[in-house]
Amino acid sequence: MTRYLARRGLYLLVQVLVVATLVFLLLRLVPGDPARAILGETATEDQVARVRRELGLDRPIYAQYVSWMGKVLQGDLGTSITSGRPVATDVRDRLGNTLELIVLATVASLIVGLPLGVIAGLRANRLPDFVLSAAAMLGLSLPGFVVGTVLLLIFALRLRWLPQSQYVAWSENPVEHLKLLVLPVLTLASSAAAVVMRMTRSSMLEVVRQDYIKLARAKGLSERVVILRHALKNAINPVVSVVGLELATLLGGTVIVETIFGWPGLSSLLIAGVRARDYPVVQGVVLLIAVLTILINLAIDIAYAVLDPRIRYS
Amino acid sequence: MREASADASSRSSTLWTPDTALSRRQVLTVGGALTATGLLIACGGGSSSTPTTSSSSGSSGGSGGSAGTPGAGATPGSSGGSAGTPKRGGTLRYGLSTDPSNFEPHVSTGAASGAVKLMVYSTLLTYDANGQLIGDLAESFGWVDDKTFEVKLRKGVTFHNGDELTPEDVIFTFQRIKHPDTAATNAGRLTALERVEAGDGNTVRFHLSTPMATLPYVLADNSCMIVSKKWIESGVDPKTTMMGTGPFKFIERKPGVSIVLERNENYFISGLPYLDGITFIPMPDDNARVTALRTGTVDFIDYVPYTQMDAIAQTKNLVLKTDKVLGFGWLAFVYDREPVNDLRVRQAFAYAMDRAKMVQIAFNGHGEPITGGIIPKGWVGHSPDLEGTYDVDYDKAKALLKEAGFDNLKIDLLTTSTYSVIQRPAIAAQAELKNAGIEANMIAEEWLTFRQTVQAGTYPVHVWGTAPAFNDPDFLTDYVGSNGFFAKQIHFSDEQIDKWLTEGRQTTDPALRGEIYHEVEKRVLELLPWTYLIRREQGEAMANYVKGYTHLAAGSWSQITLRETWLDK
Repeated sequence: MTRYLARRGLYLLVQVLVVATLVFLLLRLVPGDPARAILGETATEDQVARVRRELGLDRPIYAQYVSWMGKVLQGDLGTSITSGRPVATDVRDRLGNTLELIVLATVASLIVGLPLGVIAGLRANRLPDFVLSAAAMLGLSLPGFVVGTVLLLIFALRLRWLPQSQYVAWSENPVEHLKLLVLPVLTLASSAAAVVMRMTRSSMLEVVRQDYIKLARAKGLSERVVILRHALKNAINPVVSVVGLELATLLGGTVIVETIFGWPGLSSLLIAGVRARDYPVVQGVVLLIAVLTILINLAIDIAYAVLDPRIRYS
Repeated sequence: MREASADASSRSSTLWTPDTALSRRQVLTVGGALTATGLLIACGGGSSSTPTTSSSSGSSGGSGGSAGTPGAGATPGSSGGSAGTPKRGGTLRYGLSTDPSNFEPHVSTGAASGAVKLMVYSTLLTYDANGQLIGDLAESFGWVDDKTFEVKLRKGVTFHNGDELTPEDVIFTFQRIKHPDTAATNAGRLTALERVEAGDGNTVRFHLSTPMATLPYVLADNSCMIVSKKWIESGVDPKTTMMGTGPFKFIERKPGVSIVLERNENYFISGLPYLDGITFIPMPDDNARVTALRTGTVDFIDYVPYTQMDAIAQTKNLVLKTDKVLGFGWLAFVYDREPVNDLRVRQAFAYAMDRAKMVQIAFNGHGEPITGGIIPKGWVGHSPDLEGTYDVDYDKAKALLKEAGFDNLKIDLLTTSTYSVIQRPAIAAQAELKNAGIEANMIAEEWLTFRQTVQAGTYPVHVWGTAPAFNDPDFLTDYVGSNGFFAKQIHFSDEQIDKWLTEGRQTTDPALRGEIYHEVEKRVLELLPWTYLIRREQGEAMANYVKGYTHLAAGSWSQITLRETWLDK
C-alpha cells in the first residue's frame, strides 16, 4: 500500500504539472486583454501598453511561464491582476465555502439516494420502483437554475421560512449560516441524489441475483442483515465512484447555485477571473481544483480497498 | 450669487465677496466666448449646506457655482423620496450589481465600483438634482480667465484619518491622475491641464495651455476623486483599501460577500450622512438582486433589470427611480470596409429600423428611440430639430440598397452576449433590418473577446452600447473625434468634426457651444459612421422606507445622494 501511495503521489505531481501548463497556455490563447479589463472602456493604447508592461504581460510567454511556475513551486500563487490581493488568500476563503456546500450536498444526496436506491432495486419493476425512478428522472433533468429559483420562490419569497442571498460567515452567526446553506444544498443534492439512487438501484439489482445472497437467505439471516451487510456492501463500489465523480464535478461546477444564492465559492471566483482575464486567479483556482480532483480520485481508490477486501493495491 | 470681475489680474480674495454676483449666463453674455478672458464667476454659498435648503447655482454652462447638495430641490426622480423629517441611524443594505474589481480612485471600472468609491471619496465638484454643477469639496469655483480655473476649498474638511484637506492634496491628486503610471481614466481629458497651483487662502488654480470649457465637468467626474497625498505616499495600495473625505468610512471588504462602510462623524456637511452605515452586497444575478429586494434581504438595488421594472413599479412597498437619458446603443460601421464604406448602404441601415418597435422588442418599452442626435435633453447642444432624421422608411432603405448595387444584403453583425442591454437592441435591429432586405448574421461574443474583435475590425458592423463618460457634449470626442476611442475602432475621422470639437472644448458661452455641437451632431448624421438605436431606461429600486434618495439627471452620480438617504422605519 505504501508503495502504491508513493507511486500515486508521483503521478499526482506529473498530472498537476500538465494541468498547470495547459491552463497557462490555453488562457493565453483566449482573446481579450487583461489590461483592458482593468482600465475600463476607453483606455488609450499607451495606457494599455503601460499596464501590460507593469503586469509583465509584454514578456515572452515562456518567460512568464517560468516565473509563474517558479513561484507556484514555492507555494506562491501570485497576485490578482484586478483586485491586487494575493490569489492564495482569495482561494482559501472561497475553498472553505465550496467544500462546505458540496460536502453537505453529497451527504444529503447519500442520505436520500442510498435508501431509495435500495428500495427501488429490491422492488424493481413494481410501483415503488416506478415512482422513485420517475422522481429520479425529474431530479436529473431539472437544471440547477430551475430548481434553485423555484426553491427560492417557495421558501424565501412566498413562505419566508429561509433567508436569501446575503452570505453570513459561520464565525459571525452559525445559525444564520446554516439556514443560508439549506436551499443551495438542496438544489445541488436534488440531482446528486438522483444519480446516487439510480446507481444504487442498478447495482443492487445485480447483486441480489447473486448466489451468495440466496445462500445468506437460505441460512436464515434476517432480511435486514442480508440487505445491509451482504447486498449493499457489495453493491456500493459503483456508487462510491459516482459520488467521487460528482464531488469532483461540483468543485468547479457550482457557479449557478453560487450566483442564485449569493454564495461566495470557488466557481464564482473562477468565472469572475475568466471574465476579467485575471490570469493568476484562473490559474490558481484551476490548479487547486486539479489537485483536489486527483486527491478525491485517490481517496475513492482507497475506499474501494476498504469496502471490498478483494481489492488490494501493491 | 454675486459679482463678476472682468479683470484677469483680480486677486482671488476679491472673487468671492458675497451677494452681488451676476448669473453665469449674464457673465458669459458680457464676456463673450473665446475672448472671455478675465471672467470670474463668484457665487454665494460656501457655508456647509443643510440637506433640504441649499440649491444649485442654476447655471446651465456649469463653470461657476457654489457648494450644495445634490438631492436638494425638485427632481423628476425624487417623487415621494424626501418627504418627512429625516431620521438618523440604521444601515442601508445595498444589492450591488457587480463586485467591484478594485477601489483605485482614478481608474473607472464601472458604475457599481464608482458608486462605492463615491461614498468614501469626494470630488471637487458634483451635480445637483437637475444635473447642474455644484461644489462638493469646492466652496465656490469659477473661471479666472479662459485658461485659469479657480476652486476655493471648503474649510475644515478632514480625511477619515483626521488629516485636514489642503490644496497640496488637490495638487497631488491631479499630478497622480496625469502621471502615466496611474493610467487614469481622465488623463486624456486633462492634456490641456499644464499645472495645478495653490492660490491665496484655501484656493487651487488650474492652469490650462488652451481654453477648456469641459474642465469643470472633468473635475466632477467620479474618477477625479481627491486623495490624501500623505496617505498615498505612505505606500498603501489604493486598489484594496479606501480613505477619503466622503460621507462614509471604509471598514472592510470581504471579496464576493460585502463591502462595509460606516458613517463619517466628521463629514464636511454637518448633520450628514443620516445613515450609520452602508453594506454593499454584490449580487451580480439580476433576478437574485430583485428577489433579495422583494424579500427584504436588501433595502436597495442598482441596475434594475428592465424585465422587472413594471413589476417593481406596481409593487406597493417598493419604489423605482430611473432615467432614460444616459444609456444608449448604436450600430457602428467599419467606415472603410465594404460594403458599408458606401454611404447609401449605411443610410439603408439607418432607415431600415423602426426604433420605437425596437424599444418594445428589446426593453419591453423601457427606453426611447433615437432618430436624431445623441446629446440628451437638457444638455448643451441637444438638438430637437434633428429628431426624425432617420425615421423608419423601409422603401427608402431598399431603394438606397438597390442604388448601391444590392438587392439583398447579407452581412455579419457582431455584438456581445455578456450584456443583455447591448445584445437585445442588436437582436431587435436584426429583426428590423430584414424588412429592408438586409440579412444580418449575428455573432455574439463574450465581452473582452468582443472588444478585441471590434478593434481588429473583423466584421463590418457591430452593435455596442454605453453611456456618456461625463455630462458635457464633449463626450462626443470619444466617439467622433479622430483620436476618439470609438472613432478609431471604426477607422473614422473627419477634419471638420475635429475642428468643431476643439472649438466646442475651448468655447465657454453655452449658446455658442450649443450651436457648435448642433453642427457636430448634424454632420455625424450626414456622414453616418454609425446609426444610433435606442436609449435604455436605467435606475435603482428600493423599499418604500428608504427616503431621501434621488435619481439624478446625471444618472451614474446618483449614489452621492445616499448621504442624504435615511430609513423611515
